[in-house]
Amino acid sequence: MVQSRLARYARISGSLLLAVAGLAVSASLASAEDVIRFGAPLPITGPLAPEAVKQQQGYDLWAEQANKAGGITVGGKKYKVEIVYADYQSNTPRAVQTTEQMITQDNVNFLFGAFGSGAAKAASTISEKYKVPTLAATASSSQVYDQGYKYLFGTFTPNDTLTTPLTQIIKAKAPEVRKVAILARNDLFPLAIAQEMEKSAKANGIEVTYFEKYAINTLDHSATLSQIKSLAPQWIFVTGYTNDLLLIRKQMVDQQMRAAVVTMIAGPAYQEFIDAAGQSAENISSASWWHPAEQYAGKDVFGQTSNFVKLFRAKYNSDPDYGQASAALCGALFQLAIEKAGSLDREKVRDELAKMDVVTFFGPVKFGANGQINSLEPPVFQIQNAKPVVLFPDAIKQGEFKLGVN
Amino acid sequence: MLAVQVLVNALVLGCLYACIAIGFSLVWGVLNVINLIHGSFIVLGAYLAWGAYQWLGISPWYALVIAAPLFFAFGYLLQRLLLNRVISAPVLVTLTLTFGLDLILNNAMIYYFKADYRKLTLSPPTGSISLFDVVVPVDRLIATASALALTGLLYLLLRRSKVGRAIVAVRLDRDAAVLMGVDVKSIYAIAFGLGAALAGCAGVLMALIFPISTLTSSAYLGKAFVVCVLGGLGSVSGALAGGLLLALVEGIGSTLIGPAHATTLSFVLLIIFLVVRPQGLLGRKGFE
Repeated sequence: MVQSRLARYARISGSLLLAVAGLAVSASLASAEDVIRFGAPLPITGPLAPEAVKQQQGYDLWAEQANKAGGITVGGKKYKVEIVYADYQSNTPRAVQTTEQMITQDNVNFLFGAFGSGAAKAASTISEKYKVPTLAATASSSQVYDQGYKYLFGTFTPNDTLTTPLTQIIKAKAPEVRKVAILARNDLFPLAIAQEMEKSAKANGIEVTYFEKYAINTLDHSATLSQIKSLAPQWIFVTGYTNDLLLIRKQMVDQQMRAAVVTMIAGPAYQEFIDAAGQSAENISSASWWHPAEQYAGKDVFGQTSNFVKLFRAKYNSDPDYGQASAALCGALFQLAIEKAGSLDREKVRDELAKMDVVTFFGPVKFGANGQINSLEPPVFQIQNAKPVVLFPDAIKQGEFKLGVN
Repeated sequence: MLAVQVLVNALVLGCLYACIAIGFSLVWGVLNVINLIHGSFIVLGAYLAWGAYQWLGISPWYALVIAAPLFFAFGYLLQRLLLNRVISAPVLVTLTLTFGLDLILNNAMIYYFKADYRKLTLSPPTGSISLFDVVVPVDRLIATASALALTGLLYLLLRRSKVGRAIVAVRLDRDAAVLMGVDVKSIYAIAFGLGAALAGCAGVLMALIFPISTLTSSAYLGKAFVVCVLGGLGSVSGALAGGLLLALVEGIGSTLIGPAHATTLSFVLLIIFLVVRPQGLLGRKGFE
């Protein structure tokens, strides 16, 4: 009796062992299949979580398209794309740790930058140390690229390429605008863009009557807005993220504030801003690095801009914005560089990225000596009839600038 | 004129802050539980108002009537089934439990509602009233009135009803209340349920004013915390006094020294109160 039970245990544990061994074999077979691993440290939880979702959508769409076409061709051999995600909890020091872990433990071949200018800059120190080519999808501030790093590239042009064309359009179309009030979220990118706006305004002879920062997580702006209202500026320029801008816009309506021009960066580029702000979004102007109305015949895996928009809509049932597009672009650029290098050698891929001069669905891509893209003309647009209408550059212009925000 | 406008803004905002804080204050005062799930309750209330309006066409004023019993039941069960088991443990245990529950609720909301920001926009919009150049948004005014009404109701409940007297008795002296035959566990559950109902109603009202997102839960919780320390724990009028003081300091501070420092100023005030007057404006000394 005892013996037979023992025998049964032995049989069961034996078959379990076999099963485990089998699993191990199949696992090693899977990893033996040729893949290229891309590390993507993202703020998947915490305050920046919505942004991480957008980045992820862009990377995933690219990986899906690349794999659908068989993968990335390296010296006649096809490699599948695998994206390794890690959550740094919207915490910049943790972004640095996560990046190091990805290189040393997850053995990624290449890296995508952390989200935004601040975290991307901090994490770039690590990728530079290990000489891993890194493409940052959402870092625009020039302070990220003035570190003299060789392995960091970014697909957003400097902040002044957004504010300068905007100021010029407003100067041309609305000569009555003489005073601007600037309100900025006290955060790296929103503040940097507000400071660029201050420079652009001064350079174009527009007086800056108000320049203040508001704290992250501010729940109420009524006192600030009352003060701006009392100064009667013709142009109100506000920076922040969707949450801040929706709240500020609502409170502007509450306080019956009117101005010839109201500009908000970077919320209006997102469909959710237009949906949530409703009527109050009308005539709000903004600028961003990319817009779905652009028309480029790309040499990358997505091809035409319209094809990218179509694929994105099919997968996510919404229109892509610049953040999602830039993330997908980073993947597509890696693919181009790796295929051109014909090797997974980091040094060779880095050199291909540095030499890159190609038209993509996102626009022409060429990196400056500091690694930041210098070939793009970011569009200026305005919300008209609940749709973003492109005002600049002229090649893709969809409408005329309209004055008056009530 | 600017000064009057800033003052009016602060008065209205102060009542909203009181509305956010009152349920938190009740739970802290009676149960001695720092209820970290409070902010997520408010956000859930806001989603309820948004969903009721968007999908069923129910106006937020009626959503208040739906939210109150729903949240009361939710809070009551939570206390009965979970919190009561650890209520006599050191404060860190209840803190950790509510922290964990908050993570679960918050992430569940991200999962179901996605991380997108939403906004409850009434059509037609309620607009603003202006009087001698001083503008007051109507939705804030209604929310303020509702907040005052809720506060008044809670005050009456605590003063006049048998359950209310029992809650106050438990708050004053738990052991004596037990000796007098008060079922403390049930009173705890009722108090927590009331706290949750107040949070849910606050959420419905806030849905009209602030963008709706799970991310705002920590901001609500932070305000509730400051208001409670400033106003004093567990007293209804304390929450109102704390809310008004906080809004005044923020409003005047952001006008005089800039909005970047308004939050800093309110936390400096918090520290001063903790050192100089730990019982708050209207809190009484001597009770836990």
